[in-house]
Amino acid sequence: MTKQAFIVGVGETPPTRRSSKDIRALAIDAIDAALADAGLPPTAIDGIVTDGLIMPNTVPHEYVTAQYGMDKRRFDGSISYGGTGIVCAPMIAKAAIDAGLAETVLCYFGVDWGTRASGPYGFHDLYPAKLAFEKPVGFNGQPSYFALWARRYMHEFGATEEDLAAIAIAQRSNALRNPRSQVKKPLDLEAYRASRMISDPLRAADCCVISDGVCAFIVTTGERARDLRQKPVKIMGCGFGTEPVSGDDIFTQRADLLRIPGAAAAAQQALRQADLTLGDVDFAEIYDCFTISCLMQIESMGFCGPGEAGPFVRERGTTVDGRLPINTHGGLLSYSYLLGAEHVIEAVRQLRGEAGAAQVADAQVGLVSGLSVPDYGVLLLGRPT
Amino acid sequence: MSDAPSTIAPEFAGFFAALQERALAFPCCDTCARFHWYPMKACPHCRSSVISWRRIAGTGSLYSWTTVRHAFDPAWRDRLPYIVALVEFPDAPGVRLIANVAADPESLAIGMAVTPCFDDGVAIGKSGVTFVPAGNA
Repeated sequence: MTKQAFIVGVGETPPTRRSSKDIRALAIDAIDAALADAGLPPTAIDGIVTDGLIMPNTVPHEYVTAQYGMDKRRFDGSISYGGTGIVCAPMIAKAAIDAGLAETVLCYFGVDWGTRASGPYGFHDLYPAKLAFEKPVGFNGQPSYFALWARRYMHEFGATEEDLAAIAIAQRSNALRNPRSQVKKPLDLEAYRASRMISDPLRAADCCVISDGVCAFIVTTGERARDLRQKPVKIMGCGFGTEPVSGDDIFTQRADLLRIPGAAAAAQQALRQADLTLGDVDFAEIYDCFTISCLMQIESMGFCGPGEAGPFVRERGTTVDGRLPINTHGGLLSYSYLLGAEHVIEAVRQLRGEAGAAQVADAQVGLVSGLSVPDYGVLLLGRPT
Repeated sequence: MSDAPSTIAPEFAGFFAALQERALAFPCCDTCARFHWYPMKACPHCRSSVISWRRIAGTGSLYSWTTVRHAFDPAWRDRLPYIVALVEFPDAPGVRLIANVAADPESLAIGMAVTPCFDDGVAIGKSGVTFVPAGNA
């Protein structure tokens, strides 16, 4: 029989564009906070799971192990990269726990793209075809990649800037309830329209912020969770989905650029494990790197049909007091941009009832998603019982 | 990255060789006769490794485009704003080429015909080909 696994401690560094600390110091701060939150000593950690691309190059597992003297570590795992990696880390942690390979697993992720000279833009240099064919024409920033999707989306579905604005405005309203959020200025349609055009049709208000920071959380067994400081948040399901397309091709070459098949697959896998439907989800933290990609994920996960996400957001209401609160901390657009690691932390806080003015009433089931094209992760978390 | 784009991977070379002769060419599988893009080590449709570069007429249509108004790389600051488009070709189904378009952004529409121009005079980037609205060539 499959054991149950729980998130028992969370930690994050304060959202900020530029930190005075380097990425390893930020990781230590976040891990310290997660351990303190759980009430666990570092030596209780016997496994580490992160994404498989960014952390191994910036805050490797062995560095953390040495920093804390984690002498019982007997499991090491990673999955995908970036946002999908950290959203799916609980899948690997739980699998390790189920298999008896570990009991208490540390997961962490963060970036220093606020201070790093190339910011988020240097990341795509790892793709040879993008270097050879795209960089020479100045197709070299994520806003431009998603702008091509946005224009095509508007063309195919008759979507308007109001559809893009709806998600940005709702999330800003959520961010304003949260004293930690990086962006503190109100946003209405007029302010949205006045927002600087970055790569049209995408404005600054359509793009995520850029941040320095790290988040960490700890996964353990039900038996262990019982004795710890916090009420344990249950991992109800965790799904991974992808499609056979390279990172070079993902933004330009797929037959249907406007669907994210990995999102559908990951959502179905997570829901099946949890024995839930999307209708059971009380709030969702969705990977909102851009307004357009958030709309597409809402559709691809099945909350509504293709081209319907704009009206869905407006009619359903995605603010904290709406019928489906989305990105209750303000999301990557307004809270911080740690590629969705903060989404996991926020979902845990919501389910523990610690979200203060941004608390979703009677939140029982939270969905968290991470997009790292072409990979996708969906995590379903349940309120402590 | 100091490497010239044409030397980043051996399977990319055919594109740049065609550009030298003021032509567009894309990889097409000799076994299943289907195009693919970007270049792969083997045909992604049938796994054949016998791939040829097939020249196309050149005229394409706009699948999507964006006017870039922010320099993500400081080297592009003095060229702002500039247009980056995704161009499809009737004689290379399945291929979409990222390219600059030299035009008034207000004049562009999805589906509009564009033709390649190999003159350095209209070049915005360093790709060796820039598109212009058909009829303006």
